[in-house]
Amino acid sequence: MATESATSLVPRLQVEEPAGGRVVILDRRPFTIGRRSANDLVLMDPDVSRDHVEIVDHEGRLLLKDRGSRFGTFVNGFQVSEHQLEPNDRITFGRGGRTEIVFLSGEGASATLGGAGFGSDLRQIALLLEALRGMGSGRVLDEVLALVLDSAIEVSGAERGFIMLANPEGVLEMKLARAQGKFTLPQTGFAISRKIPDEVFQTGRVREVRDLRDLPVRADGTAADDHGQTIALGIRHILCTPLRLVRIVERQDKPADERNIGVLYLDSRERGKFLSGMARAALEAMASEAASAIENARLYRETQEKVRIEQELRTAAQIQQALLPPPHKLGAFFEAVGSSVPCRAVGGDFFEYFAPPDGGFAFALGDVAGKGPPAALLAAVLQGILTGQAYSAVEPFEVMTRINNALLARGVESRFATAFYGHLSPEGVLTYCNAGHNPPLVFGADGVRRLEVGGMIVGLIPFATYEQDKVQLSPGDVVVVFSDGVSEATNAAGEEFEEFRIREVVEPLRTDSIQDVQAALLRSVRNFSQGLIQSDDITVLVVGYRPQSPASS
Amino acid sequence: MTIEQRSVDSVVVLDLSGRLVLGDGSGLLKDKINSVMFEGNKRLLLNLAGVTYMDSAGLGELIAANTTVTRQGGVVKVANLTKRVSDLLVITKVINVFDVHESEAEALKAFA
Repeated sequence: MATESATSLVPRLQVEEPAGGRVVILDRRPFTIGRRSANDLVLMDPDVSRDHVEIVDHEGRLLLKDRGSRFGTFVNGFQVSEHQLEPNDRITFGRGGRTEIVFLSGEGASATLGGAGFGSDLRQIALLLEALRGMGSGRVLDEVLALVLDSAIEVSGAERGFIMLANPEGVLEMKLARAQGKFTLPQTGFAISRKIPDEVFQTGRVREVRDLRDLPVRADGTAADDHGQTIALGIRHILCTPLRLVRIVERQDKPADERNIGVLYLDSRERGKFLSGMARAALEAMASEAASAIENARLYRETQEKVRIEQELRTAAQIQQALLPPPHKLGAFFEAVGSSVPCRAVGGDFFEYFAPPDGGFAFALGDVAGKGPPAALLAAVLQGILTGQAYSAVEPFEVMTRINNALLARGVESRFATAFYGHLSPEGVLTYCNAGHNPPLVFGADGVRRLEVGGMIVGLIPFATYEQDKVQLSPGDVVVVFSDGVSEATNAAGEEFEEFRIREVVEPLRTDSIQDVQAALLRSVRNFSQGLIQSDDITVLVVGYRPQSPASS
Repeated sequence: MTIEQRSVDSVVVLDLSGRLVLGDGSGLLKDKINSVMFEGNKRLLLNLAGVTYMDSAGLGELIAANTTVTRQGGVVKVANLTKRVSDLLVITKVINVFDVHESEAEALKAFA
């Protein structure tokens, strides 16, 4: 710290980029900032121009001057061409806001401590204050605690110190104990009296004990006993300050929100070891900054936790989409296109194509009861079982029977699915089994057929029996399989999309490409429930029987 | 979703009304069935006249209720299916899992 203290009064920039944060000292004039490598500060941000802005001396102050940048320079949210820098000014570039620079002036930091003229200890504290302010929220709590403690120990000359933070019940818990030389003490070995920390936390007042043995034994005789263990270690001098969090409020008539979040405790075996009064005041000021840095780190950690969960869900969503087959499948006598849009990050719908051993084309669509991750897990299992069955069994009723038994064998209670499995032969014979699914529709020249034969939903009853049916498709016929997210999409008036609207949309497009059919259906559902939150997973699979020439292209 | 409980002779009648869907009162039916069975009742009638909407999760609730009662040696019948509910039971082909009756009176007669 001794080398850094010399620079603590030098103006500097705290640079926050997506990659991380750093502090840059304004060590030359003009100080140039831009994307080009010749600048004093190089920022790799597309919103930053090659030569974006510079900082120059102007009548004893620092002046920020835009160098004709493409997207502009902003200070505290306002675009500027020239601006006299004030401490804590926030400089951003263009509209992106990916990079943020905070101007830190050595003067500003020392001013908060009551003016110039302090010794080197105070420069160190000023530096620490800056470091804490500059920390923003992106630091790990333990790092913040260690930094605060080490600095406090170093500045005060204490031998050891610790930080206790209040848990949600308001009880102080030891968070970190450090000793001179910047090493962490095992918390169990840190024998201290809780009396002083508790008192400081409750009252919010600094407590300094110059010599523990000077403490008067009170009438109840407890004080000396309370400190017995501490005295036994030879501790004689204690300084304990509250970590007071002050939230600035926007309106003056509202009282500032002030509360203690914990205490900073320092002790030493040397009597009267600690600071002068002024330096002690500085340490208190530091404790307040430390409180907000610690709180920020805590909030950051909570946010991180949320971000992590969201990230996992996003990953799960990606995995789920990756589990689906490619949307478009083209074969010698068929063409298929499918899509699944979950209403949450992940959903319980799926579709799949298979190439069974007899040279036909098989396809399936399933909808697991429920939504979100539990449904998605079961959907993945079901999809897996289905794939396994489809390549060994040919008869759809057989596939469905095995799926039902396989699901029940896994014993996931009250978890079941509706499913449709169809097998199309090159001759246009569609053999299918419908396990409780909304009947898929076959659009042909002679009208619309519903595919209803099968059995009950899978996963409900052991040894349920399934039937299958065969329908002869003509070239050009289109099969539309959909989940109930389509037929039960609701509009603002509370009406449902229903099967008749699916017919209305698809029938006129029957001879168009299956991609057009699918797109029109999805668009129509979207328009129907416009402005409303999608309440169920929407999955559509369109299969065209195209024996001569595929109609897409 | 709300559930009202009343007794007709030896039959416990549960009047379900509202939306039987995921999250919205799910678990309510299960809890109710469990407490009714715990009290030693063996004959249940689910009156679905007031159920305006049911999704697949709601269907799961209904099936679970049916299974719970049957497993514990009870008898459960359902009555007054709205078109919505009836359609869902038909599409999913589980209608035969339930002992369905047109009206409450008919169902009560079937218990005798």
